[in-house]
Amino acid sequence: MTEHDHDHDRTVKPMVDEITDFEVLEIALRELCIEKGIFTAEEHRRMTEFAEQIGPTPAAHLVAKAWLDPEFKKLALAEPMTASKEVGVDWMHPTGWGTPSDFTAFQILADTPTVHNVIVCALCSCYPRPILGNSPEWYRTPNYRRRLVRWPRQVLAEFGLYLPDEVTVHVQDSNQKHRFMVMAMQPEGTEDWTEDQLVEIITRDVLIGVALPKAGVTSNVITETRPAIHPGTAG
Amino acid sequence: MSERIETLEEIVQRNQVWPVMAAKYGVENPVPPWKTSLDGLCDALDRAACDENIPSFKERRDEEDALSSSVYADLPYPENQLVALAHSLVARGVIDEAELKHRLASIRERLEA
Repeated sequence: MTEHDHDHDRTVKPMVDEITDFEVLEIALRELCIEKGIFTAEEHRRMTEFAEQIGPTPAAHLVAKAWLDPEFKKLALAEPMTASKEVGVDWMHPTGWGTPSDFTAFQILADTPTVHNVIVCALCSCYPRPILGNSPEWYRTPNYRRRLVRWPRQVLAEFGLYLPDEVTVHVQDSNQKHRFMVMAMQPEGTEDWTEDQLVEIITRDVLIGVALPKAGVTSNVITETRPAIHPGTAG
Repeated sequence: MSERIETLEEIVQRNQVWPVMAAKYGVENPVPPWKTSLDGLCDALDRAACDENIPSFKERRDEEDALSSSVYADLPYPENQLVALAHSLVARGVIDEAELKHRLASIRERLEA
């Protein structure tokens, strides 16, 4: 056997070798709820499997396909739930009518040269989970939720997105009945790219609308989570 | 809703939060392994919300926001989401605190056996 005659990918990664109070608390709540008949173990398993398999990749593929195929773009804007199936997402999964907190009118907001869309849930943290996965921590915070609707340009600037005055910012509030995601415009210099290349730059932030796609940018912005402080009462 | 719950206070004070544990063991996962099970728990609870005392989706999130910015302001996410949910269920009488304390001990004993 040579020095490199083994599989690096199968090297065991480090793990937390300690039982934490939080791990125990999650099990305790779950077991007690099941024993009290609030939900069944089977219901919990189905919902957990749903949570494990969702992520932003299908949404990125949907936008990339729309950029490459004008007919698919028409479908995505007219019948977004049908278009979602083309990228493997059935909004009715896993209960037959979606998850309890994800029902199910879905709309895709297409940016234009004069309108930029960004999504929020001012009330709680509604998010297009089936196609975009779990929301990032900052999306859940009252800071983002309260401030985006009042000062959208300032909040977008905190993500490094500065929009010219001639571009209108459309803040779309989500709710338990309506979910949205953003279809940005295809950036210059990517005209001959493949779908897989385009998917790399259609990040979660782009799909929320706090970033614009850009060749070479494939990661999300990391923002510090802060409490909401009204400017009138701050310091 | 803002009253202190001793059993949960003890958990907060022991501070086995994921950033601390991950750094201690050199783990790179950004969230703890119990997070998706917690998500499943929240979804399953939301389906049961018509039952008496079970918080609705909006009540659960409102209480989480309020508790995460007050009683559990020192906890990171998603630990604050988990502990706030536990707090809501105890404060609403869905789960009794003594029952929770006993269950925590028996689960730890089981996992460490």
